[in-house]
Amino acid sequence: MNAAFLILSLLAVAGALLAIRLHNLVHATLSLMFFFVALAGLFVLLMAEFIAAVQILVYVGAVGILILFAIMLTPHVTGENHGRLCSRGWIWGLAGAGAVFLILIAPVLLMAGLDTPPATAALSPSVREIGLVLMTPYGIALLVMALLLTAALVGAVVAASPPARDKDEPKP
Amino acid sequence: MLGSGIFKGLAVTAKNFFGSYFCKSRLTTLQYPEAGNTITAFSRNIPFLVFDSEEAPLDTLRCVSCKICEKECPPQCIYIVQDKDANGKALKQPRIFDIDISVCMGCQICVEVCPFEAIKMDSTFELAGADRFADLLLHRDQLAKPNTYFHKIHPAEAQEVDARLAAKQKKPAAA
Amino acid sequence: MILDNPDQLIVNLVQQGLDLLSGFPIVVLVLCLLLSTVPLIAIFPACFAITTWLERKGLARIQNRIGPNRAGWFGLLQPVADGIKMLLKEDIVPRAGDQLTHFLAPVLLLVPAFTVLAVLPFSRNMTPAAADTGVILFFAIGSVSTLPVFLAGWSSHNKYSLLGGMRAIAQMVSYEIPLVLSTVTVVMLTGSLNTVRIVEAQQVSSWVLGDNAALQILGQVLKWNVFTPWGFIGFLIFFVASLAEVNRCPFDLPEADSEIVAGHLTEYSGFKYALFFMAEYISAFAISGLAVTLFLGGWSGPNIRPWWSDDPQALLIPGFVWFFLKMFALILAMIWIRGTLPRLRVDHLMGFAWKFLMPLALLNIFVAGAYYYLPRWIGWPAGFVVLYVCYEWLGRINRGSLGPKRTYRYA
Repeated sequence: MNAAFLILSLLAVAGALLAIRLHNLVHATLSLMFFFVALAGLFVLLMAEFIAAVQILVYVGAVGILILFAIMLTPHVTGENHGRLCSRGWIWGLAGAGAVFLILIAPVLLMAGLDTPPATAALSPSVREIGLVLMTPYGIALLVMALLLTAALVGAVVAASPPARDKDEPKP
Repeated sequence: MLGSGIFKGLAVTAKNFFGSYFCKSRLTTLQYPEAGNTITAFSRNIPFLVFDSEEAPLDTLRCVSCKICEKECPPQCIYIVQDKDANGKALKQPRIFDIDISVCMGCQICVEVCPFEAIKMDSTFELAGADRFADLLLHRDQLAKPNTYFHKIHPAEAQEVDARLAAKQKKPAAA
Repeated sequence: MILDNPDQLIVNLVQQGLDLLSGFPIVVLVLCLLLSTVPLIAIFPACFAITTWLERKGLARIQNRIGPNRAGWFGLLQPVADGIKMLLKEDIVPRAGDQLTHFLAPVLLLVPAFTVLAVLPFSRNMTPAAADTGVILFFAIGSVSTLPVFLAGWSSHNKYSLLGGMRAIAQMVSYEIPLVLSTVTVVMLTGSLNTVRIVEAQQVSSWVLGDNAALQILGQVLKWNVFTPWGFIGFLIFFVASLAEVNRCPFDLPEADSEIVAGHLTEYSGFKYALFFMAEYISAFAISGLAVTLFLGGWSGPNIRPWWSDDPQALLIPGFVWFFLKMFALILAMIWIRGTLPRLRVDHLMGFAWKFLMPLALLNIFVAGAYYYLPRWIGWPAGFVVLYVCYEWLGRINRGSLGPKRTYRYA
């Protein structure tokens, strides 16, 4: 478990770093996709294959394509034109990032019993259990998500429909 | 029913597929070169020079190098140099008769303007060569073909030409 | 006896070989890894070569001509000739294009195409990766293949490639929805996402494990999902959507020569084009394999138990023979459709997915739910009637979007 976890986390961190630092936006998005796939691998290590599959389906298959579409509509994709950004306040940025890192890692460090492996790997939820839990008692969350998606779909249809024509316009 | 057109189309293609094995009329492919080609008596490709006697081919060329075809050729693909004898007097035959067949467009104007029925259209088309320029420049020896060959590829036209030439022979004799 | 169960012959041989090597666990581990991947990588490109030959000869006969018949007997070495040609071609990369993504796109397209083959059950105990979430894994990994298509279109630095790439991913994303919705019915009525369990649920196990040979044959065929009303419509929707997913006729607008000069594949030559081509065909095999698993009963076929065997699960003809037969039947149907139908225009294509297939798939889910609760003798005919009415009604609704009927004066 340890070797796989180490490799996957290194790949994930590398992908995330490249996603921030690369100048070519399409390359940055590609490394972001790579990061998502590494995350899916980490989910599989945690015995949550359903979440891993859904992560790939949603993030790589849909969100990634959406980001690429959005980037494609901007003019400065290749990133050759602008020079390096080097602001004076970089040290405050570093301090802020360090503070966030400490806040995120504090609960993990303070948690007792990190050295012992998890009690049993057989408690990974099967798809059947995930489905049962989603329907009851998390049914409300499912319905709210359905409403949200319906609203998004209706909004997309309205945004994509042709503009309403005036009745007084002379016909060509 | 919605989509019945698609099923009818699928039935047509299935009939085509199975029919092509049993019904010879469905499969019209000609397996060139084993099964011959479709050259008819009306096809033409590049010109050739006609000679009358097989024993002395280059002496019985009908061409007298009048150079009318060279002047009339639209893409100017013919190059003629008249033959001169030992004293420098012009002879009535071409020493050089070159046609660049990569330029020739097969318009048959040279055939139409020739007063001596010397140049006719050939239907050979397997003329590919390895050299891009030299192999597509045909010289007099390659262009000279016998009258029997002309009869083979264009029988009706060859008989007509022979009749005209015979009539021309008779006229000075009669006159 | 090894030949007790011809179906499991390969599995038993492999098991005995691994037992011999049980003293070396590392070797066993490596061999297991190799055995689950190498057969896929060996068999499916061979199927790809056979399919290119089948397609060229089949299309030729449909079009009243002979296909390739010069390279070997009946043109059987034509795929070899094609492969050699592709390898020897010059690899051209546009200088202004993005070199890295231009190189990565065909590679990234092949990876999901091969990976999804691992969840298909070729026979009992012959699934390379029998995961509990097999169907979701298939669609998840398959959805990754939209990314390299976009990268191919973008990295060619060619406005036609970009346009072709955008059209291709719009088509692939739109047709994923009817595809997944039609599998929801199967998963709903089987109660599991595991591909092995889905195949096993399509056999009448009491008949198959019994002793009557006729019942054994019937029990393996009658309960296929395609013979139910929701399964029949689901299979049709799945098949049509899978044609669109792998960019085959009549949905091959993104890569058609007369439309957009091969679209996102314009700037690819030689081996990279061959890789794209192979990825498209391997995806076609994978999605046909999933259609066979979900709707056509997977590895079951008119099989009987061999008379010399005591194992109740033994089969005379191995299961993977039936799997490949059915998969090739679907591939032949794809070739037949390619020879028959004209290409859809891009707005017709998108309208067909969103306005016809998706509502039909949703209605199919309702019918499947009703079928589950009604007794069979009501549910079966009523399901067919309701679905036929919905099909005609949706066709009638969408007729207006085709535009007015044109009359040609001089045609």
